[in-house]
Order: sequence, then structure tokens, then C-alpha cells
Amino acid sequence: MDQLLGFFLYFLSLLTVGGIYALLALGLNVQWGFAGLFNVGIAGFAAVGAYTYALLTTDVSPFHMGGLGLPLAIGAIAAMLLSGAIAGVIGVICIRLRADYLAIATIGIAEIIKLFLKNQTELTNGPRGINKIPRAWEHFTEERFYTSAPMSWISDAAGWQAFFDSLPRWWWQPMFTLTILLVIFGVYILLERARLSPWGRMMTAIRENEHAAQAAGKDVTRRRIEAFILGAVIMGMAGALFAQHLRLIDPTNTFDPAKMTFLVWVMLIAGGSGNNRGAILGAFLIWTIWSGSELVINTSIEIIANYQDMFDVGVLRTRAGYLRMLLIGILLQFILQRYPSGILPESRPAAIGKQ
Amino acid sequence: MWASFGFEFVNFYFIPGLVLGCIYALGAIGITLTFGILRFANFAHGEVMMTGAYFTWTISTLAGLWLGWSLHPLVAAIPAIFAAIGILMLIDRYFYKPFRNAPTIMVVMASFGMMLVVRSTVQFIWGPNQLTFVKGIDKPNEAVRQFTADLDLMILVPNKHFWIMAGTVIIMLCFTYLLERTRIGKAMRAVSDSPDLARVTGIDVEAVVRATWVVGGFCAVAAGVFLAMDIQFLETTMGFRMLLPMFAAAILGGIGRPFGAVFGGLIIGLAEELSAYPWIGDAPFISPGYKTGVAFTIMIIMLIVRPSGLFKGRTF
Amino acid sequence: MRKIILSSIAALAMTSTAFAEVKIGNPMGLTGPIPDLVAPMAKAVDLAAKHVNEQGGLFAGGEKYTIVRADSACDPVAAVDAVTKLININLVSAIIGPVCSGSTIAQAESVSIPAGVVTLSVSASSPAISSMEKGTDLVFRTAASDAYQGIALAELTLAKGIKDIAVSYANDDYNAAIAGVFAKSFADKGGKVTANEAHEPSKASYRSEIATLGATSDNLALFAYYGSGGITVMRNALETTAFKNFIGADGMLSQEVIDQLGAENLTAVTFTTSASDDSTAAYGAWKSLADAAGVPAADPFVPNSYDAAFMMALAVEKAGSGDRDKIAASLRLIANAPGEVILPGEFAKAKKILAAGGDIHYVGAAGPQDFDENGDVAGRFSKSVVKDGAWSAELIK
Repeated sequence: MDQLLGFFLYFLSLLTVGGIYALLALGLNVQWGFAGLFNVGIAGFAAVGAYTYALLTTDVSPFHMGGLGLPLAIGAIAAMLLSGAIAGVIGVICIRLRADYLAIATIGIAEIIKLFLKNQTELTNGPRGINKIPRAWEHFTEERFYTSAPMSWISDAAGWQAFFDSLPRWWWQPMFTLTILLVIFGVYILLERARLSPWGRMMTAIRENEHAAQAAGKDVTRRRIEAFILGAVIMGMAGALFAQHLRLIDPTNTFDPAKMTFLVWVMLIAGGSGNNRGAILGAFLIWTIWSGSELVINTSIEIIANYQDMFDVGVLRTRAGYLRMLLIGILLQFILQRYPSGILPESRPAAIGKQ
Repeated sequence: MWASFGFEFVNFYFIPGLVLGCIYALGAIGITLTFGILRFANFAHGEVMMTGAYFTWTISTLAGLWLGWSLHPLVAAIPAIFAAIGILMLIDRYFYKPFRNAPTIMVVMASFGMMLVVRSTVQFIWGPNQLTFVKGIDKPNEAVRQFTADLDLMILVPNKHFWIMAGTVIIMLCFTYLLERTRIGKAMRAVSDSPDLARVTGIDVEAVVRATWVVGGFCAVAAGVFLAMDIQFLETTMGFRMLLPMFAAAILGGIGRPFGAVFGGLIIGLAEELSAYPWIGDAPFISPGYKTGVAFTIMIIMLIVRPSGLFKGRTF
Repeated sequence: MRKIILSSIAALAMTSTAFAEVKIGNPMGLTGPIPDLVAPMAKAVDLAAKHVNEQGGLFAGGEKYTIVRADSACDPVAAVDAVTKLININLVSAIIGPVCSGSTIAQAESVSIPAGVVTLSVSASSPAISSMEKGTDLVFRTAASDAYQGIALAELTLAKGIKDIAVSYANDDYNAAIAGVFAKSFADKGGKVTANEAHEPSKASYRSEIATLGATSDNLALFAYYGSGGITVMRNALETTAFKNFIGADGMLSQEVIDQLGAENLTAVTFTTSASDDSTAAYGAWKSLADAAGVPAADPFVPNSYDAAFMMALAVEKAGSGDRDKIAASLRLIANAPGEVILPGEFAKAKKILAAGGDIHYVGAAGPQDFDENGDVAGRFSKSVVKDGAWSAELIK
């Protein structure tokens, strides 16, 4: 029984984290898949979203500035707006840089964002990060929420406490996962609309042949900046959800570009860039492999340890993490060479009408 | 306490900046060549530096164990260079070559994946712990100190820094000869300037690609070994930490311009060290916590203001 | 792919439930920024489990005390994922904590507290951990909060006759915090902090930082991990002969520092650590066990790791089963006075006393581990200097 419940909860956690990555991948798909903008600063935008959300919604804290205790939705909206605004500024300055240059510039910007969050200790608590970030649904069990409006209208503190005690410990977990899946669904519907709209077709045109689009009188720079901002808004949202899921964020390790940014890129390329469903599929698939591979590798090591004693597996145990990284690297090479356009390749909006 | 030295700016900011700059410069040569000739940003370049240093350590350790020789790192680096170039060729053959005619993103992703593969392989084989490269403390060279002190310009430079600076100058001279005087060097410059034109004039582009890996690999291993000589230990992330400043150096100098990359490397190295100099008052000009940001800021400003770099490199 | 993974997980679960054992999850930062510090800590945890199993295992039936290791990478994302798997797939009874404060807090707030599982951290020293829970009693640690060590170090520095000092700290969660406490209490107690600068970990050169700090004082307080830049800072400082005295905290305390820099260069270096010295029986017992097993006894947080794994075994023994809900209460009982004193390695003795219904009081390798109401320990600190090519510790009284 415990084991079955455990599998269910682990499955929910795969959906939760995979879902957050799916949002990041959707955001990247707008930038890269639609507009051909090579953004390697994903972790930076996610960090902006996460920190905005955390500073606005946490309770007053001695460790960092504020803790304004605002409602969660306001925090998430502010996260999206600030991430979009920063993308707007970066876009105006950098958008005319082509592919590789934009990539290098965005890496640099993400690093500078990280350094800022790390060094502005009064604002962000520096490298130690912000904790006690409220998580959707679970936050209802926090005293400051159930003793204030609107929850206090329904019942008093003792009533709420009794109610929450009557629920199983994990009651909020399916709700939180469902919320994330709903957000993904909403973003997906919006992006599909955008992709099939004239705006989306114009994006494809600009990506495929910039000069032709320009000659046809399209404002290439403006469309590009729009796509960059839209992608960053979605990434900011994902950052806010990541902060909720982890409940602690720090600038150094949580938003490590070599891990987060890279993983999102692998997800998009594996799923199929330019295809929103591909981005979502890729995110869930790669996250499941990433998370599950630890179990598989550890199990294999234990099996080796049980069936032979020629050499000491202690070294294997402590270095298993690197084996996992190696595996992901090789998997990426395999996907790139075998499925260059991803598992679900892009279907052009213009071609859809003909099908 | 520096009043007694009087010459602290040169000794503690300028020379260390120059040494760091030499290492950046050698690394940036490979990056700028790959960028110019193969047209992609090679994220695995830092790992070549790191692997070369690990090979060098292994060779000198084995030589000590089996033969009882104590090799100078620069001697042990020679076989390491061949090993690293061999690995680069293999990586190119199996992981980069399939994407020669594909969109740039594919090969950039492939190089990012190779970065992970190479690093985690090294971490798996040698372990994540630091390895001692050269033990002890390298105090400033006494003869130079005495000599310059008599001239009232006391210069404090440890021997390892002489090796690094001299090594960089020698490699640069050989490299200049290669590019300016040899056939393959001229072909490399031609491909870098215009690959299509080079192809129609009958230049063997694949031979140029091989030469690029040889030269880039040579410089990368040299940079890795110099870095290891300076910090005197090895760690598996040492290459990756140098990667972004090296990109910055390559862009600053102009893509496809090896001499620009050297110049850019020196500028980035100096800028990083000098940013902490108390230019105004006693406190560091920029908090050392932001030191890594200096290179990125220079790089981004350069990209925006003058994407072709100081030496009019290629823009895509 | 998911099918394959899930079925292999199921296979693992079935094979593992066949033995009578109590499983304890042990996420450690095996990869990430400080793998070299973590490797000996993991060895110490394994050593404690070995001692427990050699001395008859848990309970009357001699059940196996199993450590399930996972990689938390000092990264909140990895730690939350690893602990989710430990709690839900491996069904561990408790967690012996992740190494870094950030990943400890993240996994506790996100996974283990909501699931009602006890976390006993081995090295998380952030003050934020003390104020983390409300109404639950699920997070403990065997490492003292930064606040204590920073103050102890400040007092030690003043006692050595050092009146002014320059502070350089690596900008990471551990070192930034302890440097802050040190600088504040050093100034409060009448010393003068001439400069207090962060440095980025793992840079190739710190010469400019050293030069700027060296201009202000002859003494350097260095807070860094030896494995990510600390050795380079020391080396750059020694090369330029910028400083006469060095003090620092336990991130720098490793044989590796002596091996790389040479004992002859480290004559004016004193580092504190949250451990005891040979004058106490507990440390003596630990040192002989560790030396026999080839575990570096005095490395940072290695004794704390042993204590955590050993105390968890005692707590499970006291609770009488691997039931998650009972562990917190029994952890307090075995760790706090009163009771017969149990030293590191004395599992059989403890088991006998517990079976007879007696009380025990574990006094660990890193000092007494009496938990206060927040699950924190006061900590005992020793200062280490280089003697005969190795660190030699002496308890600060």
C-alpha cells in the first residue's frame, strides 16, 4: 500500500517538475522554434521570475528584503511581467545579433543576473537564498493564510486546523500538479492560436528568410522582440512555479545554466522544435529519463555489488552521478543524429490547410 | 604594508592579469579558429584544456612511478598534446562532421553534449577530487627581485609565470610562422575569410578542418597546462570556468582573427584583475564578487557596439 | 521508456523488501561544487552503518541497517528530486541530510516535512534552519549553526593577540554566512575588521583580491572551501607574502591543503572546526575507529556525518521499528542527557542498555549532540595547526 502510494506520489512529482520544464520548453519554443532566436539564458529568466515571486509572496523575513506576503497569483503575474520587461530591454539591445552571437550574449546576461542575485545580499539574502516560499494549495495550511481573508470568512483558525488535520498529508500534491498541468494547457492553447495566426506565419517567414520577409514589408526586429518577450514571460511563469515547488531558491545552484538551460534545450530539440506538443512531450520524457536514471543506475550498481566481489563498488557508488551526466550527453548525441528534427517534427502552419 | 614595495600595481595586478591573459589568449585561439573555419561556437573547448592537463598529470605521474623520472610539466605535455588532438579528431569525425551541412544549432548542441560527455568521463575516471599538479609555493624569483630592486623597480615574479609568459610568446611566434608562411596556414586563412571561394579555388577544406583541430588542440592543451602550472592543481571544472572569458576574448578580438583573440585574451585577463584595483579610495573598484561579470560585460558591450571585434573579424 | 523505468523500479522495490532491514536515505552532494569534501563524509556514514551491522544490527532480530545513497549535488532541484525518490520509492524511514544548507532546506520544506519524515542534517549550518519549522519537530542537525563557530573563531583570534584583520570569503551559502558572523562578533569584541570582501569561488587567480586586502592588514581571515578556490587563495597569499597570520573555519581544514601547499609554508595558520580533540574520550574513540577504516577523522563534517548515521541507528533502535513517526522523539531521547554515556562505535553496549529499558546519552565524535528545541546542537570547537605535516587539533575551552 505504502509502495503504491509512493509510486503515485513520485509519478506526481515527475509530472510537476516535468510540467515546469515543459513550460520552460514552451517558452524556448516561442523564441527558438518560432522566431529562431538562440537564447541560452533560460536560467536567467527563470531566476528573475522565481526571485520576483519569492520576494513578493513570502512572509516578512529577517534574511532578505520584504517578504511582502502578497497573494500567490499577484506574485506569479509580477514574475511574468518582470521577466518579460527584462527580456524587452535585452531584446531592444541585442536582438539584431545573429544566432551564435545572441547565444553568447544571453549566456553572459544570465551570468550577470546570477551575480547580481548573489551579491545583492540585502535584497536577496545572497548565496543562501530565500526559503519558506508558499506553494499553491499547500499554502492554505499556513497560519497567515487561514487566519486572514478570504479563508477566515469561512471558518476560524481551529476549524481550518481540524480540517487540514483530517486530510492525508499529501492532499495538496495532486492539486498542485493539476494546477501546473492546467497552466501548461492554457499556455499551449494560446501558443497554438498564435502559431496559426498571421503573427505566427509571419514569424516562420522571418525565421526562414529574413530578407524576403523584410522586403515584403514586415517589421522583422519588432516581431523578433515580441517573440523574445513572449518566451521570457512564459519562462518567468515557470520560474515562479519552480520557486513554489522547491520552496527554496538560491542563485548559484538552483539556476545553474549548465544544468537547467542545457536540459531545456535538450528537451526542445528531442521533442521537436517548432512544435508545441513536441516541446511538452520532450520535457516530460527527458525529465523522466533524467530523474529515473538515478534509480536505474543505483539499482544496477547494487546488482553488480550483489553478484560479484572482484572489485569494490564504492567508487562506482560515489561516481554514479557522473555516469548519469555521461548518459544524458550520449543520449543527446543520439537524438541529434537520429532524430534531427525531434520526435514530433514541426508542421508548418501554411501546410496545415492543405492536409 | 605595500608601501614598502612601492610597485604594487605592477606586481599584484598587472603581471597576474598578464599571466591570466596569456592563458585566455591561448584558449581563445582555438575558439576563434573553430568559429571562423567551422562556423560554430565550440562549447567543448574548455574540456580539451582540462583533458590535456589531466593527461599531462597522468604522464608525469606514471613516469615518476614506473621510470623514476620527474618530468617538467612542459615535457609531459608533449605526448598529452598528441593524445588530446587524437581525441579531438575522433570527436570531430563522429560527432561534429555529421552536421557539417546542417543548421549551426545542431553542431552547437552537439558540442554542448560533448562538453558533458568529456567532463563526466574525466570525472568518472580520475574522480572529482583535486589532484596536486605541482606541490608547494613558488616564491618570486630572487635574482629578478634583487636586480630590479637595485633599480628601484622591484619586480616580483615567480618562475612559473616566466614559463607561462615565455611559452605563450614562443607558441605565438610558431603560430605566426604557420599562418603567414606555410601553405596550410594560408589555406586556413582563406577558408576563414570565405569558405565558398576557398572551395572553388581547390583548397582541401577537410584538410583545413584537420589543421584547425591540430592547432586549436595544441593551443588548448598548452593553455590547460599553463593554467595547471599557475594554480598548481587540477580539477575537472577548470576548463569550463575559463570558457566564457575565452569566448569573450575571441569576440573582443574579432571572430576568425587569431591575433585578435590573443589581444582580446590579454585585455580580458587584465580587465578582470584590474577591476579589483582600488582606483578610487581604498576599496576595490568593483567588488571582487562581480569579477567574473567583468569579462561578460566587456563581451556584451563589444557585441552591441562593434560585433566584428577590434580586429574586424567575421560577422554572421 | 517510462514503462521500462517504472518496471525496473518495481523490480527493485520487490527485491529490496524481501530482507528485514531499516532503510535510511542519505542524499549527499556527491557531484556539484564540493564533491571532494563530501567523499570522506559519505565514507563516515558508511562506516557508522558498518559498525551497527557488525555489532548485531538493529532490534532483537538483527535487522540490517541500510544506507540508501542518492546524489543531491548541493542543488535544490537535485536534492528535492533525490529525496522524493528516497521517500516514495525506497520508502526510507528517515533522511540523513544533504550536505549544503540550501539543498537541506529545500528538501525539508518541499518534501520531507510535508511527508512527515525526519531529517538529520550532517553539515547544514545556516541559521535559517533553526526557524524553518512551525509546529513540527522533524529537522535536526549534528553541525552547529554558523553563529556559534563564527563567535568562537572571533574570540580565538582576539585571544591570539590579533587586533585587526582582513576578511575574505567565498561567495557561497556556507562561507558567506560564517564570515558575516565572524566579522560582526570580531568588531563587537573590540577587534578591527579592516576589509571584508567576497570572492567568487574557483577562480584561477585571486592575486588582485589578495593585494587589495593585504594593503589593509597583516592578518587574513579566510572563509572558503579548500576544494573550490580556498587553496588558490592561500597559495596566492603565500606567494606574495602579503599576510603574516591566517585564520579560518572548517571549510579549509583538510590534509589536502598541507599536501598541496607544503607543511613548511603553513606555520602561521589556524583553522577552527566543529569537532573535539584527543583529550575527550569520545573523540579518541572516533579517531581510532576512523584511522582503522582509513577515514580522515578530522576533515570538515566527517565526525558530524558519523554521528548522524550512528545516532539515527540508535534512534531507530530506541523506537523499536523503522516507523517514521516515532523517530523524532526517540532521536531526542538518545541524544540528550540523562542516560548512560555512549561513545562512537559502542552500538552493542547501547543496544543492551536500551533492551533493558535504560536511557542512553550519545556523546559523539564532534562533541555532545544534545538537541535544543529547534533540533540544533551547541557544538564544540577545536583549533587546528600544522604539526609534523598533519593537522593537530586542540579543543577550545
